[in-house]
Amino acid sequence: MKKFLKALPVWIWGILFALLVATFFSNDFGLVDLQKTALVLAAGIDREEEDFVLTAQIALPAASQSGGGASMEITGRGATVADCLSEIHARTGWVPKLIYCDLIVLGESATVNVFDGLNFFLRNEYIPDACRLAACEGSAQALLSSASAVGDTSAIALGTLFSDAAQKSGLVMPTTLREFAIGTFGASASGYMPYVRAVPQEEDSPQQGGQTEGGQSGQSEQPDASQQGGQKILYSAQETALFAGGSLVAVLTPEETLAFSLLEGNVYAGTLAADGATYLILQDSGAVGIGAPPDMALHVDCTLQRCGENETSSPEELPAGTLSAKEEERLSELLTGYLASLWETCAQSGCDLFFFRRSLWRADPKEYAAWKDVPLADLSVRLSASVKSLR
Amino acid sequence: MEKKEISGNLKEDEAALRRQLPAQDILAFPFSDRAGRAYVCLFADALTDKDLLAEQVLRPLQAYTGAPEAETIARCTLSPEVRTARALSTLAEEVLAGNPVLLWEGADEGLIVGTKKVPVRAVTEPPTDVAIKGPREGFVEDVKTNTSLVRKRLKTGELRIEMLTIGRRSATSVALCWLEGTCRGQIVEDVRKKLAAVDIDAVPDASYLTRFLTDRPRSLIKQTGSTEKPDIFCAKLAEGRVGILTDGSPIALTIPYLLVEDFQASEDYFVPAYRATFTRFLRLFALLVAVYLPAFYVAAQLFKLQLLPVRLLLTIAGSIRGIPLSPSLEMLLVLIVLEILNEASIRMPKYVGMALSVVGALVLGETAVRAGFVSTPAIIIIAFSGIGLYAVPNLIEETSVVRLVMLLVAGSFGPYGILLASAFLMVALVTTENYGVPLTAPFSPLVGRDLRDTFLKYNLHSLKMRPATLQSPNKRRLK
Amino acid sequence: MKLSSRQVCFFLAAVSPVGKMVLLPARLAETAQNDLLFPVLAHLLIQAALIFCVLLLSRRERTLCALVKGAAGNAAAKIVCTLFAAFLLFAAFLPIVEQKIMVRSIFYDTLPAHLVFAPFFLLSAYLASRPLRTLGRMWDILAPLFVLGMAGILVLAAGSCDLGALSPAGAAGAGAFGSGVRITCAWFFDSALLLALIGHFPYSKGLAWKGTLCYLGGGALLLLFLAVFYGVFGEVAVLQTVAFARISAFFSAMTVLGRIDYLFLFALAFVMAFFAILPLQEAVGTLTEAFGTPRLAPLFSVGANVLMLAAVYALHFFPSGSVAAVTQTLFWIFPLFTALLPLLLLLLFGRRPHEKIS
Repeated sequence: MKKFLKALPVWIWGILFALLVATFFSNDFGLVDLQKTALVLAAGIDREEEDFVLTAQIALPAASQSGGGASMEITGRGATVADCLSEIHARTGWVPKLIYCDLIVLGESATVNVFDGLNFFLRNEYIPDACRLAACEGSAQALLSSASAVGDTSAIALGTLFSDAAQKSGLVMPTTLREFAIGTFGASASGYMPYVRAVPQEEDSPQQGGQTEGGQSGQSEQPDASQQGGQKILYSAQETALFAGGSLVAVLTPEETLAFSLLEGNVYAGTLAADGATYLILQDSGAVGIGAPPDMALHVDCTLQRCGENETSSPEELPAGTLSAKEEERLSELLTGYLASLWETCAQSGCDLFFFRRSLWRADPKEYAAWKDVPLADLSVRLSASVKSLR
Repeated sequence: MEKKEISGNLKEDEAALRRQLPAQDILAFPFSDRAGRAYVCLFADALTDKDLLAEQVLRPLQAYTGAPEAETIARCTLSPEVRTARALSTLAEEVLAGNPVLLWEGADEGLIVGTKKVPVRAVTEPPTDVAIKGPREGFVEDVKTNTSLVRKRLKTGELRIEMLTIGRRSATSVALCWLEGTCRGQIVEDVRKKLAAVDIDAVPDASYLTRFLTDRPRSLIKQTGSTEKPDIFCAKLAEGRVGILTDGSPIALTIPYLLVEDFQASEDYFVPAYRATFTRFLRLFALLVAVYLPAFYVAAQLFKLQLLPVRLLLTIAGSIRGIPLSPSLEMLLVLIVLEILNEASIRMPKYVGMALSVVGALVLGETAVRAGFVSTPAIIIIAFSGIGLYAVPNLIEETSVVRLVMLLVAGSFGPYGILLASAFLMVALVTTENYGVPLTAPFSPLVGRDLRDTFLKYNLHSLKMRPATLQSPNKRRLK
Repeated sequence: MKLSSRQVCFFLAAVSPVGKMVLLPARLAETAQNDLLFPVLAHLLIQAALIFCVLLLSRRERTLCALVKGAAGNAAAKIVCTLFAAFLLFAAFLPIVEQKIMVRSIFYDTLPAHLVFAPFFLLSAYLASRPLRTLGRMWDILAPLFVLGMAGILVLAAGSCDLGALSPAGAAGAGAFGSGVRITCAWFFDSALLLALIGHFPYSKGLAWKGTLCYLGGGALLLLFLAVFYGVFGEVAVLQTVAFARISAFFSAMTVLGRIDYLFLFALAFVMAFFAILPLQEAVGTLTEAFGTPRLAPLFSVGANVLMLAAVYALHFFPSGSVAAVTQTLFWIFPLFTALLPLLLLLLFGRRPHEKIS
């Protein structure tokens, strides 16, 4: 007995090791390993009548090995997003995994009650809440299936468009699923996301594409991409879709998007065009002030440097990029106009883009109760912009 | 009835001794002195310095005319190492140890002369413990040479060297070394008891003794320190440890052993403290990577893709297309091939081993990838793991087993399995104690002051005290 | 002594908070919304006071069983200890279910097989049969891991955190506060865990204060974590089941480096595994001592773990129901053993250590 007890631990460890080896060699507990997986890089949601149409852009590993970013799009249709994924699974045999899904594109048809579709992504613990959102002109399926002129898959090209660098230019206002959900489910019930348009390259050359008043361009461009032939697409995300109560209510113009970026204080080294000259935005600080209701103030401070003109200047006239007082005044007026336009769009659409109601709730729930149902258009808003030259 | 002691009858005594030493390499040289008294000298042919024997013993004795007492005969010889013994068994042992034995007519004791000449390897730099800076001497297989190397470095009366003989047939000399007043007495006592209790045929190497020096001989976890360098050995004695030198082995054992010791190299004490700290953390990192990388690679592919960045994952996905084995079996296969190559290249003759490495590394790896048996990332990961393991060479036996277990666990249960296996390992490590010193000290149990010379390496001036973990009675080492 | 007072402090500061970082934040966000810090603060203060009492009780350096045996005899000690062990087994259920949910969420990409959680009970059975000293030594290792893990996820989450989401304070109202306190009782049984350890560590001067401060220090970190959690998720915090694993996923460098936050999450998950095992181990220890059969400790350990394994797998398809049963229906059991028992013992045996008990 004593001998048995002494040897018992050795036996137990031995048996456990044998079990481990047996498990190792027989291991297929419904495992979904890499070879059985479809890695979804982006998902597009469209609605057709009551059904959802989900387009999954799947990364193709073989091509990626050779340096490219090849992908394919598979579409599933069903009553829910989960249904769509099941259909994709059933048709391809691959298990769609959304762990790397970094972009959800909402087609025009899916921009009403967006959380009907987004809820699946928000509640699924295997999908990162950090994935970016975008709304698009036309269908999400068409957008994701389009061939990007920059050589990458559309998801990667769009991801580049929503990068931090693009955000600093003030041309695009990206958002994530988490931020959008917080905004929508919060006191303001509002949110925004970039509005993407596909621009066929044959029709719009890179020089023309996405020209704004100041020649700003939010498109991902590559001059030699046009030589690749076919319907190559550039993407423009300079507009911003506004949502209230989970539905699309308005689209901000590129100028309004810039004003929104400036208010958020995101811009660093962006450009502003006016009166035939281009100015570099070197420093930006924006402020949304919520005073005692119905008082609200939107103010932008910018430091600019002139960086280009459309008329040749004599050497004497070439200043060191400094702005005259008159220019400062003119640009302040221009930006104030952008802010006014931005506010007008928000007020008309009912999108509480500046989270006025949320701020009010946080500051004083009683005031919030009094003002929560008052239309934004009834608020008194002071708009101001101050432009200073680089000295 | 067998005689046990010298009788004084030369023929009978020689015959009795011969019966105990029947081997043909035991030679007898009969001669007589000037008074006509008969002598016989028995010695082991290959172990005795015959020139020295002739010069120091035989030539003076041939001119001897004195009384047949052992004491006066011993004084007549010119050898500085002369002993006497009455028991035939002792005399036989001495002959076998290489010391010639002298018998003569009318003798009541045999004379043992220390003219042993054992073939000894020169003191060279040990291959397992190379230092760019610092001493290059290494222990050899001769215990006496080794004790001399220790004595050379610790010229103090506090250095105690106790010689023990272990092994019923090998009669291996084992030197138990410690610094009196620095090493805790209880440890010396316990080690002495454990060594005395060893009852084994032969002790060909120090590693045999390690099994007897621990309470848990079956444990996977290493429980005695080892070194081939006298400078490290002496440093450990000076910290309050006990050292064991074994005849026939260049490996010296030290007790008690702390896990962190194997992350320290002698060179760490000869370079600036910041550099030593960096390299120690590098060793830890290399070891962790070596053990966990294959496991996490498999777990990532099978259970948790998110452990890898998407672009890397796509590259891997491209590489593994068409591989017939599952990721876990593929990795196991490559790991086993690595172990085989490792084993074969160590055992092979030097030049064949080099060729084998080329065949293994280049031909086999390249061909296997081209043939689509295994993928390139698997080869890279195992190669990196194989290299990483050698960053802490003294733990290779243990870590290679742990790596295999982690791989099996990862293939079976995924990342959570790895976490649980690590928890098991950690519990086993913190539970292990030897001679009252926990293996994982000074991290667990935490001894704050001792952390100064673990993965962190403080400047020498900050290491004024000996490690408190070892409970040395003499706490201060730097004044 | 099996534990040192330092290890007890490490447990209070670094191991006990991790048990409250999985399901509790989302549950509280559901009940108390942006006021989720207040119920936790209330629990922390109550527990800190109780821990102070238990540490005062530990001055006698006698175990719970020995205390009861000395005062009321062997039979009473057996009854009290059996009841206490039963409570510890009951209390162990929630951390183990949390562990199971956490494993599914952060260690796998798709729903894993049921089998993958089973080895947890192997570790638990192994550890529960080891002497308490092993656990103490593990705490020495776990404390820095906890600090590393917490610091990591909090730093990674800082950029996405809007602490304004916690305003307006008190808006949820007293009702929400009360509900919050009630449903979180099941997570705050640290004083009971400590009660099972008394007599296994030496009482050094000021330990009661030190231990309480350590607990409050760990509690402050927990509050910071909860604040950051709500700051990151705001109104959608209720959806974040495994709270600690979600807050750090928004760090911008992740697109290049991959999910580096998993390093910190795994460190915290490692600590959590040992926290989940602790009530089981203590239950086994209490039973073993009560019945004076140390040789049977492995058997008790296997029994307790088989029981828990059966319970967890039997309720596999009722995770919300089983959690709700513990936190909303049977929550009243917790104050009996976390507050009433220690206070009663302190009342009976709270005299100076040199005084003899009858």
